[in-house]
Amino acid sequence: MGKGTAERVAPAPLVATSRQRRLISGDDVFRAVAFAAAALILVIAAIFVVALIVPALPAIARFGLGFFIGRTWDPVRTQFGALSAIYGTAVTSVIGLLIAFPIGLAAALFLAEESGVRLLRGPLSFAIELLAGIPSVVIGLFAFFILTPLMRDDVDPFLNHTLGFLPLFQGSPSGYGYLTAGLVLAIMVLPIMTALSRDVIRAVPRALREASLALGATNAETIWSVILPYARVGITGAALLSLGRALGETIAVTMVIGNRNEISASLFASGYTLPSVIANEFTEAVGNVYLGSLFYLGLVLVLITIAVNVLARLLVWRFTGSEPMAT
Amino acid sequence: MKGILVAASVAAGLLLAACGGTSSATTTPATGGAGAPTPPAASLNGAGATFPAPFYQAAFYAYNQKFSQVTVNYQPVGSGAGIQQLSKKTVDFGASDVPLKTSEAAAMGGPDKVVQIASTLGTESLAYNLQGIGDGQLKLTPDTIAAIFLGTIKKWNDPALKADNSGLNLPNQDIRVVHRSDGSGTTYIFTDYLSNVSAAWKAKTGGPGKSVNWPVGDGASGNAGVATRITQTPGAIGYVELAYVLQTKMTQAQLKNADGNFVLPSAAGATAAASQYLGTSPTNFSIVNAPGKDSAPISGYSWLMVYTDQPDKTKGTATVDLLDWLVNDGQQYAVNLHYAKLPSNMVANDIAALKGVTSGGSALLKVSS
Repeated sequence: MGKGTAERVAPAPLVATSRQRRLISGDDVFRAVAFAAAALILVIAAIFVVALIVPALPAIARFGLGFFIGRTWDPVRTQFGALSAIYGTAVTSVIGLLIAFPIGLAAALFLAEESGVRLLRGPLSFAIELLAGIPSVVIGLFAFFILTPLMRDDVDPFLNHTLGFLPLFQGSPSGYGYLTAGLVLAIMVLPIMTALSRDVIRAVPRALREASLALGATNAETIWSVILPYARVGITGAALLSLGRALGETIAVTMVIGNRNEISASLFASGYTLPSVIANEFTEAVGNVYLGSLFYLGLVLVLITIAVNVLARLLVWRFTGSEPMAT
Repeated sequence: MKGILVAASVAAGLLLAACGGTSSATTTPATGGAGAPTPPAASLNGAGATFPAPFYQAAFYAYNQKFSQVTVNYQPVGSGAGIQQLSKKTVDFGASDVPLKTSEAAAMGGPDKVVQIASTLGTESLAYNLQGIGDGQLKLTPDTIAAIFLGTIKKWNDPALKADNSGLNLPNQDIRVVHRSDGSGTTYIFTDYLSNVSAAWKAKTGGPGKSVNWPVGDGASGNAGVATRITQTPGAIGYVELAYVLQTKMTQAQLKNADGNFVLPSAAGATAAASQYLGTSPTNFSIVNAPGKDSAPISGYSWLMVYTDQPDKTKGTATVDLLDWLVNDGQQYAVNLHYAKLPSNMVANDIAALKGVTSGGSALLKVSS
C-alpha cells in the first residue's frame, strides 16, 4: 500500500517536468526543422546559381559582355551572341502581355464587380483555372496544328492588308514567328493576369466604391476614376508577373517561333527566344564554349526573369500589404 | 538426335543464365543458330543518336527474344549526350551519327581507347509541299539544292529550277526552307553534302556541323518536327530521313547524283553509295555525293562506340556479341524500317574492329560469322 502511495505521489512532478521538457524539445526540434528547411532553400538557390555560372565561364571568358550584342549563332565557327534570342524573347513577351493585359483586366473587373452577371461568374472562374492548368506542350500542339494555319491563311494576310503600311506587318506570312508566339503567350498568361487583377480589384475598399456611387457616378465612372487608379500599382504588378511567366515559357513558343537566329522588324518573321535556343541545342552542344554559351543564355534569362519578378512582387505587396494604411 | 542434344544444352545454358549464372554460361556453344556464340547474361545500356533509335530498339528487342539472358536498354538522347555518357562510363556503348572528333576521343584517353563501328546506313530525302506536284516529280541538282539552302533561289518558279523541270508547272511561290532546330546527325550529313557540292556553302557556313548557322529558313525539332512542318506549310522544302518520308507518305524530289543520274533516295541507293568507298573508317567516313549510277547522294553511316579495354569481362563479352550480331543478322531489322543494309566491306571492317575489344589483355569476340 505504502508502495502504491509513493508511486502516486512521485509521478505527478515527474510527468509535469517530462511534459515541459517534451514541449521545449518539441519546440526546439520544430525550430531546427523549419530552419533547416529554410536554409535548404537558400542552399539550393546558391547551388543553382553556382551550377549555372561555372559551366558558363568558358563562354563568359570568350565573349564577355559582347555576348549581349552579338547577333551570330554559329556552332561550326564557335561564334555565339545572344541578341537575336533576347530580342525574340522581349518581342514575344511584350506581344503576349499587350494582348493579355486588356482582356485579363476586363475579365477581372467582371469577376470582381458586383454588377457582373452572376450566372457567368462560376463558369468563368472555372475556365480560368482550366486554362491555367493546361500543360504548355498541349497549348503548343494546339498552336502548331490549329493556330499557325489560321494565322498564315487568315489573320496575317488581314493584318498585312489593313496595316501593311507599318513595317510590323510586312512580308509574306508563314504562320510561324513573333506574332503567333506572342499570341500563344497571351493565352498562357491570361489566367495569371486575370486572377491577380481580380484579387487586386477586390482589395479596393468597399467604402471608396460606395462613396463614388453615392456621389452619383455610374458604374463605369466608378471603375474608371476610382477603382482603376486605386488598384493601379497592383495591376502593374500583375502585368509584370505575367511578363515573368511569358519570358521563360519554352516548349509552346519553340513550336511556333520558327527557330531562326535573326532579328526582323516584321512580326510575321521567324525568330528565336532564349529558352528555345537552350531547349533545341543542349543535346548536341559539344565543347566548353558551345555548352557554356547555352548556360550563359540561361544566366541571362534567369537574371531578366528575377528582375521582373522582384519588381512585380514589390508592386503587388506594396498594394495589398499597405491597404489598411491607405484607408 | 544431335539437334535435340544441342537444343537441350542451349536450353540448359539459357536456364543457367536466367538463374543468375554469369560467365559460367559463356562457353556454352550454340552451333545450331547463326553461328554466333551464346552470350553471357548481362544487362547492357547504350545511349546516343536518335536517327538509328527505331532500328536499335527493334533489333535489341529481337535480340532479347533470341537470348533472353541479355537485356539491352537504349536511350535516344542525342549523339552528343551519348558521347558524354560514354566518356563518363555511365553506359556500355555510345551511339553517334558522326564518329568521335579528335578532341572527343582525347577525352576518352585517345583514339586507340575506343572502338567505333558502323551500325547502319541512312539516306536523306528532300521533301516538299507543292500543290499539284506529286512524289518524285520534282528534280533537284546539287546546284539548285545548294542555292535553295543558301537563299539565292527564293521562288519555286526560279529559272534554274524550271530548267531541270521542264514538264512541271512550278508556281510563283516563296520557297520556305525548313531545317532542324536541334543539333543532329541528320543535319551533319546534309551539311556535309552541301559543303561537298558547293564551295559557296562551305565558305558561308564553314563546313558540316550537327547544328549550323543557316543562311535561310526556319527550324523545327526532330525529323518528325521537320516532316510535320513541311506537310503543313505550302511551298516548304526540307531534308528528312528517308524512313520518315516513307512512313508519312511525303512527296520527295529526285536528286541528281555524282554520275549525273536522277535517283529517288532509297535504302538500296544508300548501300550502293556506301559500297563505293572501300576505305571508310571512323576518321574517313563521309560518303556523300558518291559516284555510281544508283548512289543516293545524301547518305551516311551511323556509328556505335565501345571502350577497347573492357573492365568487366562478362559485360564486355555480351557487348561485343551483341554488336557482332547487330552488324550481321541484326541488319534484317534495319531493312524493315527503311534503313539501308551495311555493305559487306563495312561488315568486315566492323568485325575486325570488334576483334580488337579486349578484357584483361584477351580478345572478347570468339566467333566471327
